[in-house]
Amino acid sequence: MPHSRFIFRQLTRSGNQAAVFVLCVTLSIVTLVAVNGFGDSISRSLLRDARTLHSGDIILHAHTPLSRPLLDAAADLERSGKAQTVRIYEFYSVVRSGMGDDSLLADIKIAGPAYPFYGRVTLASGRDFQSVLTPGAAVVERPLLDRMGLSVGDPLKVGEATLTIRDVVVHEPDRPVSFLSFGPRVFVAMSDLDKLDLLKRGSRVRHYLLLKTPEGTDLERMADRLRSVAVPGQERVETYRTARSRIKGFFDNFLFFLALIGIFTLLLSGIGIQSALTALLKEKERTIAAVKAMGGTGRFVIGHYIAVVGILGAIGTVLGLVLGFALQWAMPTLFGGLLPDDLPLTLSFRAMLEGLVLGVMAVALFAFLPLHRLREIKPGAVFRKESAGRRRGLPFYLAAAALFLFFTAMVLWQLEDPRIGIWFVLGISGLILLTALAAAAILAGLRRLPLRALAPRQALRGLFRPGNATRATIVTLGAALAVLFSIFLVEKNLDAAFVRSYPADAPNLFFIDIQPDQTAGVSELLGTAPRYYPVIRSRLLSVNDEKIDRERERKRRRDNLARTFNLTYRDYLLDDESMLEGNSLFRDDIDGLQVSVLDTVVDMRPMAIGDRLEFNIQGVPVTAAVSSIRTRTKESIKPFFYFVFPEDSLLKHAPQSIFTAVRVPKDKIGETQNRIADRFPNITAIDVTQAIADFADIVHRLSVVVRFFTLFSLLAGVLIIVSSVLATRFARTQEAVYFKVLGAKSRFVLTVFTLENLIIGLISAALALAISQTGAWIISVRVLDIAYRPYPGASLLMGAATVLLVVAVGLSASLSILKQRPVIFLREQTEE
Amino acid sequence: MTVLEAQNLTKTYAIGDRQIPVLGDVSFSVSAGEFLVVAGASGSGKTTLLTLLSGLDRPTAGSVWIEGTDITHLSEDELAPFRNETMGFVFQSFHLVPSLNALENVMFPAELRKDPDAPKKAASLMERVGLSDRRDNFPHQLSGGEKQRVALCRALINDPRIIFADEPTGNLDSENSAAILKLMLDLREERGATLVMVTHSPEIAATADRTITLTDGRITGEQRHAA
Ligand SMILES: Nc1ncnc2c1ncn2[C@@H]1O[C@H](COP(=O)(O)OP(=O)(O)O)[C@@H](O)[C@H]1O
Ligand SMILES: [Mg+2]
Repeated sequence: MPHSRFIFRQLTRSGNQAAVFVLCVTLSIVTLVAVNGFGDSISRSLLRDARTLHSGDIILHAHTPLSRPLLDAAADLERSGKAQTVRIYEFYSVVRSGMGDDSLLADIKIAGPAYPFYGRVTLASGRDFQSVLTPGAAVVERPLLDRMGLSVGDPLKVGEATLTIRDVVVHEPDRPVSFLSFGPRVFVAMSDLDKLDLLKRGSRVRHYLLLKTPEGTDLERMADRLRSVAVPGQERVETYRTARSRIKGFFDNFLFFLALIGIFTLLLSGIGIQSALTALLKEKERTIAAVKAMGGTGRFVIGHYIAVVGILGAIGTVLGLVLGFALQWAMPTLFGGLLPDDLPLTLSFRAMLEGLVLGVMAVALFAFLPLHRLREIKPGAVFRKESAGRRRGLPFYLAAAALFLFFTAMVLWQLEDPRIGIWFVLGISGLILLTALAAAAILAGLRRLPLRALAPRQALRGLFRPGNATRATIVTLGAALAVLFSIFLVEKNLDAAFVRSYPADAPNLFFIDIQPDQTAGVSELLGTAPRYYPVIRSRLLSVNDEKIDRERERKRRRDNLARTFNLTYRDYLLDDESMLEGNSLFRDDIDGLQVSVLDTVVDMRPMAIGDRLEFNIQGVPVTAAVSSIRTRTKESIKPFFYFVFPEDSLLKHAPQSIFTAVRVPKDKIGETQNRIADRFPNITAIDVTQAIADFADIVHRLSVVVRFFTLFSLLAGVLIIVSSVLATRFARTQEAVYFKVLGAKSRFVLTVFTLENLIIGLISAALALAISQTGAWIISVRVLDIAYRPYPGASLLMGAATVLLVVAVGLSASLSILKQRPVIFLREQTEE
Repeated sequence: MTVLEAQNLTKTYAIGDRQIPVLGDVSFSVSAGEFLVVAGASGSGKTTLLTLLSGLDRPTAGSVWIEGTDITHLSEDELAPFRNETMGFVFQSFHLVPSLNALENVMFPAELRKDPDAPKKAASLMERVGLSDRRDNFPHQLSGGEKQRVALCRALINDPRIIFADEPTGNLDSENSAAILKLMLDLREERGATLVMVTHSPEIAATADRTITLTDGRITGEQRHAA
């Protein structure tokens, strides 16, 4: 029979530790609900329907015009009623206003009348998409109107054609977010394709053919059939189930990252839960011993404390759910501009429930140990002052193992690739182990430190006072901060890499898809003769007769050998290049075709001078021997080529387009863009400043989101500090009183406590900085492939902030004692 | 010469809106080198009186003078030098600093006043009470009698002129009690310090210069013993 008055008394008397416990539970639930709910919203509204995301059942895709056999095969299917088809072309092009006085890089999409097979293109007017997209019409995204100062009804020049803007597109089923492309969308009707005159040879056009099949079609078989006639390595045939979507890929990665932050937060708040509960129950030890001494069974005590913990946990959970709900409403603001305005960030009960179940499981697991220990309290503890030493029995190891398994399972469950999950779990375990070892080593060293001055010696002694959880505090704090600092440092380095790659004298206007006969005209329009780089699109087929394994290559996170490469030909080294192997680009002692490769290629696969590379240059296999290996001396935005062939080679006669990059005064960019686009509509001019600003903006918004979620783990870290300070408050108060009775002034007491917290803060901050610097360096150099800078100033600032926080929280708990007469405390101590 | 004087000391505790008088109008003075015993039943206000005399608490009314200084309204920091140098305390429940070992506990008051001889003085006091081999032990590794001996050393290291002892043997068995008391009295004797001790023991009271008896917070008896 539960004793409700007992439970009530324990609840109302629990005080600060109970508050910390409740807040930690709240934090776990909020984090899980927020991260889960957000991910679920995105998946449901953007990613759930893969068919809509690809707008078809089978997708044929190539960077070159689709081959005849493939088109024929698709046409056959259509004729026999086995599928409907629609063609789509996508490319970037500079569009101009009717007067030709303004221009903008746009993401053009030309779609046949059957588009879209799945989902719906929503227009601002609410009209039917295909009935608006008639010949001569353009349907554009709102930013295009804003940036060019145009409105519906105005003319818009696309390529050689002048179209009329008929409507504004609000939502496009197969491109639910627009921030992954440069430039706003412009839809043009298929019947205007030829009028634009933009599909020149060598232009960068994405060619698609979508198929829609009747219900019950064996998609895999149909795809296999089409695949058998497709040009290998050039044309891709996928079903909506296997096709990779950039958007989905992006959000999968991003959500996974958030999920990891969420799990980390959960781990930290779990530690907070455990330490708050341990301290809470420690305060109750006497009561518990008394209850036991009066004949209360262990079961009575544990049962009632489970009730107490349950009630506190329930309060935290409800609070967490309410805040989690509230957060969902704040998401659109947080994500302003990243997600479509009409994205329904609805509350998903499944996600909430999932968060709730996981949260409660975590709370239960973390609460188990402190509760279990209640059984060890002997009635005799009523008479003894010091509590019995903590033995680490089987239950401890079982609980630890259960927690480890729980978190590993959670991580693995969040992602499809278990290898990354294992790495994450190993990484976090390693991090905690490393922090623990380092903390132990430092503390052991400090303990032996012979100090003459009283205050610092006393502070040091305070760290090792019986029952203190100094090491645990340092480890959790250090590990939490290490993660936060790492995120910050990586972000800073990404930013810097970005800025570095764009020095003041870097070109700011790129022209692509220049036809060979247009260079003279371009030079004339620019008023200078810039360096022209011929670009020949090609794929690498084999290295020393060993075929490139396209599937394996594509799985690599970074650059891979399976993609399309831009080849060029010239006989000189660029200003920012130097030779790594070989004395000159090309050699006399090699017969036949030679090629100079960039060291980046060698990083993807080891190569040496003399190795034979086989390329497919628009259908023609070409073999060349490696003649030299180059490296770039600066990471900059200047054009560079992985493969360079001799000027006087067969490349010269391959289908090619020409690329150039110039620096134009900022206020002349638009004008220059206009002039070129007016005369040569097929040439795409990319205003790099704009593109970089757009990209930087996206990166910034993403980092706001990441920071927002890492804030939760920071909060958990603060709660851990608060809990540990509260846990040692009794010991500190006792010491403060004793010091005063023995004649110490408040300054001495303050100095001792400040120093004590300072040491904890300094060790934690130093560990966090050391680990985060190493971690961020590895991530930058190994994973992101950017140069690393340590940012000592910002790092020291973060360290100082940590120390300040620890000292402030620590002192706030002991300040009140300084002005009081010692008797109050002494009395409490004497009454036994 | 008077070293300690209580003038009309009154202490009331407020519990809710009830005022509970604990000490009422207590006045007396203690001269240098005197050994004064405060006796009385449990709850009669002995501890309260001692904490007021030693400045560990503030009276509701009245004042306390130590060597001619009114300490009643001094701030905690102003009291610090008195606590450090003029007085020494021995409590019933020892109150040793748990994070310091025995020797460090003893040294602490001397170190606070930056006495360069602190370690030497502490060591010799420890030797005097027979605890030389326990100097590195922490309080939780000491028995009650040992703890109280450490506390005694700590109270004496700065050669205070007044020692306050509140039932110093209240938590000890009789064998230990006798030893501690003997030590305490011997050490006091050697240093000629004033001792104000709360105790129930009539034997000890008999060795004192004077005994005052409290009943319900008032002095109801005063007895001088012939030396
Ligand atoms: N903080 C307090 N609040 C209320 N009453 C108190 C407080 N401290 C002591 N008392 C009461 O004052 C009386 C005297 O206590 P005390 O001086 O400890 O007596 P003694 O030491 O003679 O046993 C007791 O009745 C005690 O209950
Ligand atoms: Mg008493």
